[in-house]
Amino acid sequence: METSKTPAAGPNLVAGEQRVWRAGRLDPMPIRTLPEAPPSIHLLGPTVFLVALGVGMGESYMWPRLVLVFGPEIRWLFLIGVTLQAVVMLEMARYAMATGESIFTGAARVFKPIMWFFFVVAILVYIWPGHLSAGAAAFEEITGIPWVVTACVALVLVGILFSLARVIYNLLENVLAILIGLLVVGTAVIASMVGNWSDLASTIGGMFSFGYFPSGAMTDQWFPIVVGAIAFAGPSGMQQMWYTLHLRDSGAGMGAHIPKLRGLRHAGEEEEMPNRGFMFDTDNPDEMRKWRGWRRWVTFDALLLFWGITMLVTISFTVLAQSAARSNPDVKTLIEGGDRDAALSAMSDAFAQAGGPVLGGLFFGFIALIGLNATLGLFDSFSRGQADMTYFFVKGAKRFKMAHLYAGFLWGVITFGILILLFGPADGPESVLDILAFLSTFAMGSYCVVLLLVNNKMLPKPIRPKWWSNAVIGFGAVFYLGMLFYSLFRFGVVVG
Amino acid sequence: MDRVVTAGPREWAEVGLPGFAVGFLAGTVAGLMALIVGQPVGWAMVAALAFALPLGALGAVYSMLLAAGKVRMGGFAPACLFWLVGFPLARLVQEVLTRLVLTGTPGFPPDALGFLAYQGIISAGFAIGFLWTHERLAPRWWHRMSGHNPAAARVYDRYASHARVMWEAREARNRRREASKSR
Repeated sequence: METSKTPAAGPNLVAGEQRVWRAGRLDPMPIRTLPEAPPSIHLLGPTVFLVALGVGMGESYMWPRLVLVFGPEIRWLFLIGVTLQAVVMLEMARYAMATGESIFTGAARVFKPIMWFFFVVAILVYIWPGHLSAGAAAFEEITGIPWVVTACVALVLVGILFSLARVIYNLLENVLAILIGLLVVGTAVIASMVGNWSDLASTIGGMFSFGYFPSGAMTDQWFPIVVGAIAFAGPSGMQQMWYTLHLRDSGAGMGAHIPKLRGLRHAGEEEEMPNRGFMFDTDNPDEMRKWRGWRRWVTFDALLLFWGITMLVTISFTVLAQSAARSNPDVKTLIEGGDRDAALSAMSDAFAQAGGPVLGGLFFGFIALIGLNATLGLFDSFSRGQADMTYFFVKGAKRFKMAHLYAGFLWGVITFGILILLFGPADGPESVLDILAFLSTFAMGSYCVVLLLVNNKMLPKPIRPKWWSNAVIGFGAVFYLGMLFYSLFRFGVVVG
Repeated sequence: MDRVVTAGPREWAEVGLPGFAVGFLAGTVAGLMALIVGQPVGWAMVAALAFALPLGALGAVYSMLLAAGKVRMGGFAPACLFWLVGFPLARLVQEVLTRLVLTGTPGFPPDALGFLAYQGIISAGFAIGFLWTHERLAPRWWHRMSGHNPAAARVYDRYASHARVMWEAREARNRRREASKSR
């Protein structure tokens, strides 16, 4: 096996009988065959995870709120945010599909401390169970069951579910696909009953009002919220990085050569994890044909499923918010005021007035569904990411199976979550909330830089990104980091 | 093709069941929620059925068109076109029926053209969700029916041939992995 310590990427070499691709300071990647891509009509892919994670409070609450305050024209910023995230998704997929490695391993190939930075940020930001509160509170509105009870029961159920599964990816993809199908179909049904033509026309038209930025948005009260809403349009924080792990487990591209992650009960069936990913022969025209097939497949996923569904849910919720504000002026005041629970409750009441209690209850049902999707996705993704980094980069961790490490992180975060729900602040201590918000957005700027380095230095030339793609990702890095620091220095506030 | 010719109405009804289920379920979500929040059963039934039945019937038609090879497997554009017509139609039926039940006389919603245009745009979202769920459920159902239902067997064969290609590729990969381990 080739064990070169050359920092940058090198050509395919012959070491003994094995051809390898050298990238960075980690083990070189043996050359293997790239599997055939599924046809681009293949509908379901790992994007289901990104949609589950990405469609959250940003889509159902933050953007409808901005539209009520500044008008539908503010939505052009959402278009920019989600489109940027779609390109990020395509570039994350480039590395994961070409190597079968996660972006964390890619970062370690460039410079190991970058990967450890993400390891620490994940723990600091995602260990708090605050994301459960909105969904569980909505469930309380429907059933009367106290939200802390729902949240604790949900945590334990998620742990049991993922521990019993034979192959976690398959189970979760099936569950999330059905839940998201329900969410999308149901959101469309509600919007069709509550909204009207003029709300929809103004919401969609507002997406093309490029350059609109009212003076009210440049205040210390609203600027951080607007920046936060753009950063949280679609997947935020480290969610895009975790997507590379799901791509690998779905068997996309060279991920087909990596064994799947199993639940704790079936840990014994886990095949041996290779120490590194694989590369295909980029000089072979047939392999490049298959590669282009994989790129078409993931582009279809990114554009139609990710971009399309995220847009659809936000447009629907914006139409709903406009409709609620029209029928009950209190809603506008409450939404503008920023009390999320009161605003959601008022929106539900407004729908109940417009279309009977059915619609009011249905609205809360969908908020609860969004919360459930996000919780399932987040717990799996966090544990998957931490287990991946621990297994490959912590000395002695390979004595365990990946399934054991995954279960350790999963039950660790569940236990901590229950303790915090019962005895502490769910979002994290008040004094560190700003730091957590800062780290989350800083991670997004940082992964754009990592993507540029990994895809342009660690991959063979024929499969590196095009200039325009690099330009968009570069813009993303400047945008996330620039807005974050501008907000910090100009207004003394991190993103809202 | 012979199998399709020999399939009778009962077989076609079985083939259409997944589409009916997804459409019907989407339409009844509203009714189910009404029960949860304590509405009278009768009221909830009317609200649900007036929308769920037309949506379910159209969903069944979609499944049958797919089984007959008239709609591309998993294709978004055909589903989108289908619901562009079907979804506004189902909503119109619901509006007319609801007016009939509440007032005793049927009637169109005010600004019927604007209403239909709005529903047409919303239908794109419904089409994504419908297709997403349908592709998840239908092949499994057709597989279960394929033993006695030629139309289900035919459409399942098309899905299975795609899956077979994927399975063979996976087997080949496993063989290569085993071979590289033994070296």
